[in-house]
Amino acid sequence: MPFIEPRRQHPLGVLILAAQFIFKFAQQFWPALVVGSFGDNVVRNGLLTVGIFVAVSSAYAILYYLRFRFSVEGQVLVLEKGVLRRERLQVPFERIQTIQLYQGPLQQIFRLTGVRVDTAGSSGSELQLVAIRKDEAAELQAILRSTASTTADPGGAEGKGSAFEDEGGQDVLPGGASVERGEDPVVHAPQKELVTLGWGALLKVGLSQNHLRNAFAGLALVLYGLGNVPEQITAWMESLPAIAAPLIGVAFFLLIIPGILLFLMGGIAVSMGTAILKYFNLKSGIGAEGLHAEMGLLRRQAFEVPFARIHLTEWRSNWIRRKFDFETLEVRQAMAESATTGGLRVYLPAMEPTHRALFEAAVYPDLQTTPMLELLPVRRLRWLLWVAAATPTVLFWLVWTAPAAGLATALWLAFTGFTTAQRFGSLRLTAHEDTIVLERGWFWRRRTVLRMAQLQGVEWKRLVFLERRSIGHLVFHTAAGARRFAYVDKVQGHALRDLALNQHHARSSRA
Amino acid sequence: MPTLVDMDVPANSAIDLTQVPQLEALEYTGVSPRYRTLRLLVWALVQCGLTLLVVSPFILKLVFPEQEAFADMEFDFWWIPLGVQATLGLFWLTEEWLGFPRRGYAVRERDITYRSGWFSRSTVTVPYAQIQHLELVQGPVARAFGLKHLKLFTAGGSGNLRIAGLEEGEADRLRTVLDTRSLD
Repeated sequence: MPFIEPRRQHPLGVLILAAQFIFKFAQQFWPALVVGSFGDNVVRNGLLTVGIFVAVSSAYAILYYLRFRFSVEGQVLVLEKGVLRRERLQVPFERIQTIQLYQGPLQQIFRLTGVRVDTAGSSGSELQLVAIRKDEAAELQAILRSTASTTADPGGAEGKGSAFEDEGGQDVLPGGASVERGEDPVVHAPQKELVTLGWGALLKVGLSQNHLRNAFAGLALVLYGLGNVPEQITAWMESLPAIAAPLIGVAFFLLIIPGILLFLMGGIAVSMGTAILKYFNLKSGIGAEGLHAEMGLLRRQAFEVPFARIHLTEWRSNWIRRKFDFETLEVRQAMAESATTGGLRVYLPAMEPTHRALFEAAVYPDLQTTPMLELLPVRRLRWLLWVAAATPTVLFWLVWTAPAAGLATALWLAFTGFTTAQRFGSLRLTAHEDTIVLERGWFWRRRTVLRMAQLQGVEWKRLVFLERRSIGHLVFHTAAGARRFAYVDKVQGHALRDLALNQHHARSSRA
Repeated sequence: MPTLVDMDVPANSAIDLTQVPQLEALEYTGVSPRYRTLRLLVWALVQCGLTLLVVSPFILKLVFPEQEAFADMEFDFWWIPLGVQATLGLFWLTEEWLGFPRRGYAVRERDITYRSGWFSRSTVTVPYAQIQHLELVQGPVARAFGLKHLKLFTAGGSGNLRIAGLEEGEADRLRTVLDTRSLD
């Protein structure tokens, strides 16, 4: 079997490591670089400092490369690394959540591949190979995947193999070392094609991003890049004769609409750019046991996500995406205990209804059956939402006087009345045999799907005022984060909680 | 599509919804009464400290009347910080007083439920199968009171549970129960 002998990465990996360390150290020690450049001859000192810095970083990279060895011992991936502090990491296959292959720009030039291994207890970058040959990466992935997908999931109800280990978890060898290596189902199973993005679809994905947010990001970047240009403009304007002032005022007024247009176009350009960088040449498919996806222009990534390791899926769409019949799928896996950002995520844009049907038939087969329960929030929530949305009207009365403020208030109330009614109408929880679906949102729509068997806990929460009215919030704790369905009638909420727990136990005992 | 209103007819014959065990019918076991004493003691200590902090300008003026910096101090709005402190302190005391009887846990065959809080109430249920590991914690103060806190950790951390203020023997028993149940 390959990888039994501890071995180093591909020799060209030194270059990639050097680039990484130079970048990383530059981020940390840039003040030292600036200070080092001071003196009589800034250019000479600066070059000297940078030279020393690059040399030290490269030497560190070489040491790191030489010390870094990886191997596979039985059912455990072993990494030895560390320049100053040596580490030996042992990762039992069954703890592996995802294996991600990626190619950054350097890897693409050298035709190498990086491998990132995520476990429920690590943040990911701890277990990373930066450069091995493409065929070796595929082989390593196949070996790691051979049991990772067939054995139990630490976050799932069935995952008893890993419970009650030491907190660190990674250094503990699996108790049952007798697990047989099965066929590798993910790689060899025939794949059903999911989304494949050509240029046309990529364009649509870019068009359906949040342009306003991207426009602001772009604007911030431009302002940062401009530096002192605004000051120069101010200085130039002050130097003009007084008679020009009204003309400039008119010119500015005329510039407002082109300015807004430019701003929006900038936003769209940023959206397009990021969409292309992220989703270029996206290919995805559904195998017998898992989801496969690869994407990206400068940094190409490939994911293999076993179905059992999917703890949460979220379908998001906005008005534009729905016009294209698109949804963005977000697949979430278990997150590390200390993580705040919430698990490993894979985003698949441009999922059409057929893709969604295909995906859900594979991951949540019971969604096709009639729901067992359906829950809607209490009517009170609609009024609460409206009251919350109406608070800005106070500002109108502070800024304007009676007729204008009254008109603005009426318009605002009408608008928010309509939007809150739509938002309220969109809230819905449906429970199938093993799946809970939470729907919310009107303009931006979100549909969250989670399995009852994978629930880490169910919570019934309420403030004392709500308790008196028999209203509360349901919170579903999953390994990929918590999701809330708020303002539910007590009797219905309790019925759903009891059902979810019952189904959870039924599933986990069957496994 | 069936709703809960017409629930007497089960929507799906696989599971009879009326037969699903109900959590609401559970009897909760309260935590140790000594934990209430401990919490009230903490409350009193913190309140004393805060009050001291709030009235410290008065004291400084009384003790060092000849110091210029203190002599010039005016106390026109002395009641604001004191009022804020008293209100928050009373709210906290209410929470402790009314919330303590609500603290309790209930053990079922396959899950454990913990109930807590008066103002913000929460009832969390964690299936044994999802417990990644358990921790019994006892600080020096808790040791003096003969109490232990039990922490349950689940994957992802969002369902973590802390049952505070258990009697030592009870905590050990509960841990044993959870250990054996969750390994089944």
